[in-house]
Amino acid sequence: MKRNVAIIGGGQTHHAARRHDVNQVEMVNEAIRAALLDARITIDEIDAVLLGNMEFFEGTHMTDCWLVDGTGVYGKPGLKITTGGTVGATIVCAGAHHVASGLFDKVLCIGFEKQEEGDTGAILSGVAHPLYGRSMAGAAVGYFAMMGTSYMATWGAKEEHSAMVAVKARQNARKNEYAHLKLDITIQDALNARMLAYPIRMLDMCPASNGACAMILADEKTARDRCTKPVWIRAMDSAHNEQFELDWRDVTTTRPIFSKVSAARLYRKLGVKNPVEYFDVFEIYEPATWAELVWYEDLSICGPGEGFKLIEDGMTEIDGPIPVNPSGGVLSTNCIGASAMLRVWEAALQIRGDAGEHQVPKEVNRALTTAYGGTNWAVLIALSGSSDE
Amino acid sequence: MTRELFEQELISMPMIVDVPYRFAAGKYMSRFLIGLKDNGKFLGIRCPSCNRVQMPPRIVCAACHVKNTEWVELGQEGTLAGFTIMYLPLTDPTTGKLHKPPFTYGSVRLDGCDSVIDHLVNIEPDVNKIWIGMRMKAVLRSKEQRTGDLSDILYFEPVEGQEKPGRQL
Repeated sequence: MKRNVAIIGGGQTHHAARRHDVNQVEMVNEAIRAALLDARITIDEIDAVLLGNMEFFEGTHMTDCWLVDGTGVYGKPGLKITTGGTVGATIVCAGAHHVASGLFDKVLCIGFEKQEEGDTGAILSGVAHPLYGRSMAGAAVGYFAMMGTSYMATWGAKEEHSAMVAVKARQNARKNEYAHLKLDITIQDALNARMLAYPIRMLDMCPASNGACAMILADEKTARDRCTKPVWIRAMDSAHNEQFELDWRDVTTTRPIFSKVSAARLYRKLGVKNPVEYFDVFEIYEPATWAELVWYEDLSICGPGEGFKLIEDGMTEIDGPIPVNPSGGVLSTNCIGASAMLRVWEAALQIRGDAGEHQVPKEVNRALTTAYGGTNWAVLIALSGSSDE
Repeated sequence: MTRELFEQELISMPMIVDVPYRFAAGKYMSRFLIGLKDNGKFLGIRCPSCNRVQMPPRIVCAACHVKNTEWVELGQEGTLAGFTIMYLPLTDPTTGKLHKPPFTYGSVRLDGCDSVIDHLVNIEPDVNKIWIGMRMKAVLRSKEQRTGDLSDILYFEPVEGQEKPGRQL
């Protein structure tokens, strides 16, 4: 990058299924105030504001305009981005590019979703081609269910492995004061949960959450002058899939799909030979349990077909050698427009050592975050406590 | 004042937004849909560079960035590439009607085609009676009832006389 970019602060709301006590502006404002406080900066010092959420989830277009009073963008440059589930990460990438280019020194990035205000399933169906496949659309669960059947049929994994991911996420969430589903559940609970779409049961799927996340990105001079624990954005990558293909739902695919393409490119940029040695913690985008196992493999944390053994051996537990989603992840909190930013913010907290009860019990210098968008593109961001490695 | 603000009743307003759209299918999709309606045939299109047969047919091969030109008639049979049994009462967004659960749907790759088509599978919702790799055939509406959209395919159903191979799920 032309200039180094650091995360100098961030904040999030307490995520929940119901937030009728606030409107969208009030909810987003909670995260922004927390971020400004964390960065010890005032809104007057912010050069530009970038905001994103899921298109039309709350029934309003141009949320950047509707939320002006709460976001602080009044009289400042700003823009709205919508890239589906990736949007929170895309906002961070766009913010980082704006700072790296030298255009701005301090950029406020915001991702939010108030899922309770709209019909997620109905609006998500608009992601499908109107004349080809939309009649079968209506919930993300079906797509992840196909991924699950493909994974089990190909590698011989069992429903128990999915349950292990479900339990890990909710037990980690119990340590995260901001998480939505803090459930003290067992593998048996997950296996007994109501079937939604075979093989995905209620506890194998993310909740519909309300919440927001905000982060402040800054150039190196600002970061060094103003921040005691800057976290550096070291590399970013994004790739799209093709339409009308099974692609990511088929674990045997040999096509250059989003996750693998992005990971390979990002590893090349950073000179990563072995991601398990290079990164100390992972915050990945897992709206369903099976997605976590597939991410392990797509990120080369393990070989193809070994993801379910990794969870079986407890390798990715919060205190394991390869901690994945100590925050509880998307499985525990999915305010979609904020979810991908929460991955980045939670990874930054781990590097700062500020994750509190869900801080992984080892030294954390580098972290990798991922996101899905419309499950047809991915955004990966690598963070480090050091600006040069 | 603050105290007053927090003690007052909170309002949330229910609202239904009903928006009409009219989508243009375009040259390629129109020819595909008309082929389905008039002749009960599936038409794909072959990329002159990578030779992939793509369905629905489209103007450009996404991988090669070249214009697709060669139309290919595909058969009615294919292989199940992915599936799920849905237990949620999902609304069909194109009709507003419920797909009554449980129902099975999957991705079928027609023989000679590189793409898949997602559609209903007419089979008992039993995970021991369906598998990836199962042979499928399309069942279409009668010609008089076809309208030129994907609902002209009623569902896919298993080709008769198959047994689930190997390991039980």
